Amino acid sequence: MFSLLLKMSTVLQSASSAITPFFTSLASGDESSNSASLTAGNTIKPVYVNESCLEFLLMEMVDLMFRTTADSENDKEAVFYKLEMLGYQVGQSLVERFTRERPRFVDTLDVVKFICKELWSIIFKKQIDNLKTNHRGVYVLQDNNFRWFVRMSTEAGGADAAKRAVPYLWFPCGLIRGALANLGVISVVVAETNSLPQCTFQIKIAKS
Amino acid sequence: MNSTLTFFSSPAASEEEIMSNIKIQCIAIIGKMNNPLYIKNFTDTHPDLKYHYIAHTSIDVIEERISAGPESADTYLGLLYAMEDLAVYGYLTNTRVKFVVVLSVLDAVIKNADMKNIFRKIHTAYINQVCNPFYNLDGKKSIVSKKFIAAIDSIGKSNSEDISKI
Repeated sequence: MFSLLLKMSTVLQSASSAITPFFTSLASGDESSNSASLTAGNTIKPVYVNESCLEFLLMEMVDLMFRTTADSENDKEAVFYKLEMLGYQVGQSLVERFTRERPRFVDTLDVVKFICKELWSIIFKKQIDNLKTNHRGVYVLQDNNFRWFVRMSTEAGGADAAKRAVPYLWFPCGLIRGALANLGVISVVVAETNSLPQCTFQIKIAKS
Repeated sequence: MNSTLTFFSSPAASEEEIMSNIKIQCIAIIGKMNNPLYIKNFTDTHPDLKYHYIAHTSIDVIEERISAGPESADTYLGLLYAMEDLAVYGYLTNTRVKFVVVLSVLDAVIKNADMKNIFRKIHTAYINQVCNPFYNLDGKKSIVSKKFIAAIDSIGKSNSEDISKI
């Protein structure tokens, strides 16, 4: 998936102005093998991924899963599972790379805070707006301006738009679950939205 | 974002002199469920079985270190234990994957910075392996990727060859 993103980005890099350093460091392996292509002289050129490309890919990904699933109208679970598993894989890889320079985590709250602050900054370039917990293994993450929803709307608006945006939350759900799982926290993640671009993720941590 | 970029660059020039007094005997990678992922013996003086044994025993030591408390929060665990003519070093990633490096004990002093550098390289190789979409992270099979094996080989060999130059 990332190599595809990168290819897309290099093609379109010069064409578009909306370029974001999303997943930048994912693309650059740090040791000598990969860095040759990234370095010009002594200065390191960042590898940018075009934000528009990423959004197109996410749009198409959800659409593709609906198209390739037999009876997707009635079998939303199957589509959910596919998208969630994709996110799970990506989440696992992300934390493996981005927790390298970090001291070890003390407890579950520490891990959730990492997701809210650092991982959210890496993926969405902002932090979670509100984190609530009941101290019994349920965490509610609220994002008032979810980046992947910013450009979404429907004619009817309001509740209708929120309803149709739900499948686009399944991939980030998996992303969070994968990140948590790789850090040793087994959980179930569900998301909901009442009005775009606001959304909430609920993390239920499995009792160990 | 600039800060993230800079720490992925490596000071290639200084690496050779740093590594001069370290001879890696064995590199072992142990998964988060304490399953063996990869083990490589770089010597012909000891049989593979010995290193399997060392990797196994080091798991206990690593777990002891973790439970020692949050004050030892660094991913680098330092010298785990010494055994006959071998010194065993450990490293634990945030994702509970353990790296074990076995060195032969020489007269020269082994600096922690050098060891950290080696573990960093191993971690990079492992990260690249994890980011491969065809690799199943939850599976308990050992790693068979050619790229990964080559990366570990080059880490072990570069540190074994340097010793012969002295």
